[in-house]
Amino acid sequence: MGFFSTLGEIFTILKHVFSQVFERPFTVLYPYEDREHPERTRGRHIHIREKCTACAQCVRACPVVAIRIDKSDRKYEKDAALYFDYTRCIFCGLCVQACRFNALFHTKVVDLSEPERERLHYDPERIETLDRDPLEWRGSRFR
Amino acid sequence: MSPDILDEAIEIWFGPQHVSAHGWAAKLTLIGDYIVECDPHAGYFHRSAEKVLEFRNFRQGPLVMERLCMLESFLMEYPYVSAVEQIAGLEVPERARIMRTILMEASRIHSLQFWWGQFAAELGLFTMLLWPWVDREYFLDAFEELTGSRHAVSFNTPGGVKYDFTDKFLKKLDRALLRIEERLPKFKDMLLHGPTFRLRTKNVGLFSAEQGLRWGLSGPNIKACGVPMDLRKDKPDSNLAYDLADWEVPTVHNEEHPGQSDAYDRMVQRFLEVETSINIIRQLLPQIPEGPIIDPKARAKANRLPEGEAYGRVEGTRGITSLWLKTTEKAQTAYRAKIRGPCFASYYALKHLVPGSRFADFIVIFGSLDPYPGLWDR
Ligand code: SF4
Ligand code: SF4
Repeated sequence: MGFFSTLGEIFTILKHVFSQVFERPFTVLYPYEDREHPERTRGRHIHIREKCTACAQCVRACPVVAIRIDKSDRKYEKDAALYFDYTRCIFCGLCVQACRFNALFHTKVVDLSEPERERLHYDPERIETLDRDPLEWRGSRFR
Repeated sequence: MSPDILDEAIEIWFGPQHVSAHGWAAKLTLIGDYIVECDPHAGYFHRSAEKVLEFRNFRQGPLVMERLCMLESFLMEYPYVSAVEQIAGLEVPERARIMRTILMEASRIHSLQFWWGQFAAELGLFTMLLWPWVDREYFLDAFEELTGSRHAVSFNTPGGVKYDFTDKFLKKLDRALLRIEERLPKFKDMLLHGPTFRLRTKNVGLFSAEQGLRWGLSGPNIKACGVPMDLRKDKPDSNLAYDLADWEVPTVHNEEHPGQSDAYDRMVQRFLEVETSINIIRQLLPQIPEGPIIDPKARAKANRLPEGEAYGRVEGTRGITSLWLKTTEKAQTAYRAKIRGPCFASYYALKHLVPGSRFADFIVIFGSLDPYPGLWDR
């Protein structure tokens, strides 16, 4: 390996490094902006109680026992209350696929972190409502 | 070796807290700068996946499998799904067959991109850690568009696949492929043609094909020795569509040491693997027919399986990954599942490969074999 060939190789590397300087940054300033989440994103669930028939198929499909059903708690004709435990859920989507009555869906909210562990146990009240739109509360400044 | 030299030997633990040792530890005996003994330890990553599989039904099983190695989740799901399909006698529709193959190859590319970054970082080339990982994001975006999750995809299911291709996904996959095709020459210049990388990897971790086969290595590690051993060609799977594409098993020939491979050859081999995968995906994409993506009877058939045994296997990124499944009559869960990960062999190959080399080369040899802790500790 001669001196000049090594020098040439080093210049090739430098050329690539300099061309990289002009690339757009790939990261986002996370808490203030967010990447766009696609339609199928498996985020936290939303339970539409009007359509629920208390069939408990979602509970049976869940591989990690993250859902608890309370059939005595009725708001509409034949629905049930669902309790989600997000300390256990692995966002696999099996419960949503198991629900044949279109009563359970994933949402695009994926940042679920909470200051306390207990707050990750979602009660029926919370699982029925979506308190924020994932993209709205942050600006997408650089897009 | 005279005993007084051994008096000077020191033992050090490489890992489990070392940054490169994410979930493994090897005990090294050193004399000066040279390693005389290497004792790899497994078990830090054990999650008893085989036992867990005995308590999950056949639709939940692939979820456990894909968590063994998140980098190649499409490939990892497949042995389980294939074993269930064999026992239940399920037919996979043509469309699902091709979709599976495309995603498995995409998964292979993304896993290799991760490995480039990791290997370069282990050699101290931090720039090359970030570049492949940026390109990898394009694949992860495509996976997220398709399945809704970046790593834990949960895509394959007995009898077919769960999510259909959309135009947006195809666009994203195409963008990811274009990006890697555009950047491959750059990476080659940076890694293979650069003096820094070549000096660290040439003639390091040299072993012959016979040795490799005796240790049970498979995948790119053995193909780098010039042995075209590849399940995709050797044992074509009727539920995968590798036969529809025209491709050759890539191998590397080492000029200086014929029939052997060093860390550099294994790097070259993995570049060739990516090129082959791109080639296969490009050929399969126009061939996707219209039709169903899952056998309509699959759900009912996978609920209860007849008594039987099956062996599902796939050529993973790191080698042959397989699963043996046994069920009893009207089984809702597996009676016994035995997983074979390719990395157990490559991890314990260190025991023979490392002694005699310098301490600084240890991580080069380890990285070039590309073992992943999740695959040796199931
Ligand atoms: S997404 Fe999966 S883990 Fe989470 S509640 Fe549904 S079935 Fe259970
Ligand atoms: S959410 Fe769906 S699956 Fe769950 S109990 Fe209600 S209707 Fe049944």
